[in-house]
Amino acid sequence: MANENAKPAQVGRYVVSTELKTVFSILMFLGVAGLVVGLIHDPQRVWMAYLLAFFYFTSLALGGVFFAALQHATKAGWSVNVRRLTEALTSFLPFAALAAAVFLIGAPKLYEWLDKAKVAADPILSGKAAYLGATSFVVRLVLFFGVWLYFAKVLVGKSIAQDSSGDENITHSLNRYSIAFLMFFAISYSLFAVDFLMSVEPHWYSTIYGVYLFAGLFQATMAFLILVILYLKKQNLLNGYVTEDHLHDLGKLLFAMTVFWAYIAFSQYMLIWYANLPEETKFIIPRCEGLWIPVSLLLLIGKFVVPFIALLPRWAKRTPVHLAAVSIWVLAMQYLDLYWLVYPAYFKHAPRFGLYEVTIFAGFLGLFLFTVSRFLSRNNLVPIKDPRIHESLHHHVTY
Amino acid sequence: MADLITKIESLVRTRGQKGVAGIWTDEHELVEAARKTREAGIKKFEAISPYPIHGIDEAMKIPRSYIPYITFIAGLSGCTFGVWFTWWTSAVDWPLLIGGKPMWSLPAFIPVIFECTILIGALTTVASMLVINGLPKVDPPVIDPDLTSHKFALFVPESSGDTAKIEQLFKSFGAKDVRRTEF
Repeated sequence: MANENAKPAQVGRYVVSTELKTVFSILMFLGVAGLVVGLIHDPQRVWMAYLLAFFYFTSLALGGVFFAALQHATKAGWSVNVRRLTEALTSFLPFAALAAAVFLIGAPKLYEWLDKAKVAADPILSGKAAYLGATSFVVRLVLFFGVWLYFAKVLVGKSIAQDSSGDENITHSLNRYSIAFLMFFAISYSLFAVDFLMSVEPHWYSTIYGVYLFAGLFQATMAFLILVILYLKKQNLLNGYVTEDHLHDLGKLLFAMTVFWAYIAFSQYMLIWYANLPEETKFIIPRCEGLWIPVSLLLLIGKFVVPFIALLPRWAKRTPVHLAAVSIWVLAMQYLDLYWLVYPAYFKHAPRFGLYEVTIFAGFLGLFLFTVSRFLSRNNLVPIKDPRIHESLHHHVTY
Repeated sequence: MADLITKIESLVRTRGQKGVAGIWTDEHELVEAARKTREAGIKKFEAISPYPIHGIDEAMKIPRSYIPYITFIAGLSGCTFGVWFTWWTSAVDWPLLIGGKPMWSLPAFIPVIFECTILIGALTTVASMLVINGLPKVDPPVIDPDLTSHKFALFVPESSGDTAKIEQLFKSFGAKDVRRTEF
């Protein structure tokens, strides 16, 4: 720790190796292949897999904007040296908007509220038609992505502009932009979750749903950020800039969000269990039956108990190998969480998981890693002229 | 009456240890002196400062506190107590049927169990912090009143080393003042 801080601070330039580019291309090819084959054989299933992967990586990209905005809004000093790496995640956002447009083709296969005949015959669905309808869905989608892209462009663009100008006023103005973004994000991400995920079961509702997915977003973003840092540190690109102390604090945030997710998930479950109303319990019951039981238990243990215990000791947050393993595990559990939310709506009796889910996830993963690594190779890895950088360079965690 | 108060006071008063104090007027000098004192082989000594100083714990090589382990064990005990207590109150001692649910329904009691964990964990942490630090102190010996405003001191109790040698050491580390006192 002391030795690491004593190393001369030196930020390197990241270069994406040809091998990595090949891997990303293969992943993307797998995704396209899975999509094409699936559209012929089992379109509904493929759009479900698409929905999960799309939501998963859009959340990570938004998590990047959110985390950067959070640091500006709180005028945080410690996190300056890792902020650029979270900004890298936002580079996927334009592709997420494209993926959302593609998803519109498949949406009628998934959402029964898009079926006019069904809605007309169902008093509950026709009562919700003003919100859950094709027009309002697309309007919200365009609005959300438009505003998200705007803020991502401002937050990341100004931050990069500061690298060359060193203008302090940029930091002041980003503070105001960030507060505006956070307010919009709180509402828009909740509704985004409702539109895309909760509406697969349009008769059911939960008012805590948006917060539930936000907890998962924050947790997964921290896990991914930690992996990016460990990967770049291994190549000696962040020497002296991002130390064990930064990892320790990010590990604490990962731990905190693990607890926060459990808190929100339990709040949702307990209220449904306590009130015992049929319109609410119909979400829980299929997930507590048959082969969905092991999936639900794995979610509880894997997303809360395992990372909770694994991150509890101090050394756990300061040991790169351990932290990397926990982060990968958390990212896998984030996928399981989305799977658990969506799939029981279509497969009531037993989980289905196979090549479609794997290939389409691989495709999105390839695209995501491609955009993030391209961003990292084109920009400084650290906002080198941020006025608060000295706070981050001397960041020291006593406990 | 006055006699009684004096008597009580002398009973509860925090007694200091005899030892040597060195006084510096600059915090960087204090950190440096603390490092040298530790390197001279003196293990147990105190640093006194009007405000927290960055790096002093590393200079003195203060080991990590063991309070987190106390917190962990207390939290686990609180959790166990919560599980037992909710079971005993609602399923054994006074069973009440609520909403047709089982007598001992875990989901309903998780908030209680959680609160017990936090409550007992937190109270034990604070209490053990006070006990381990020997707090609260009643009218403890004061080395120098200026140590609360602009001076810094190191204090080595007699048990930690030869007094005359330590006086020599402190002088060689640039102490503005070295005196034999109680702390």
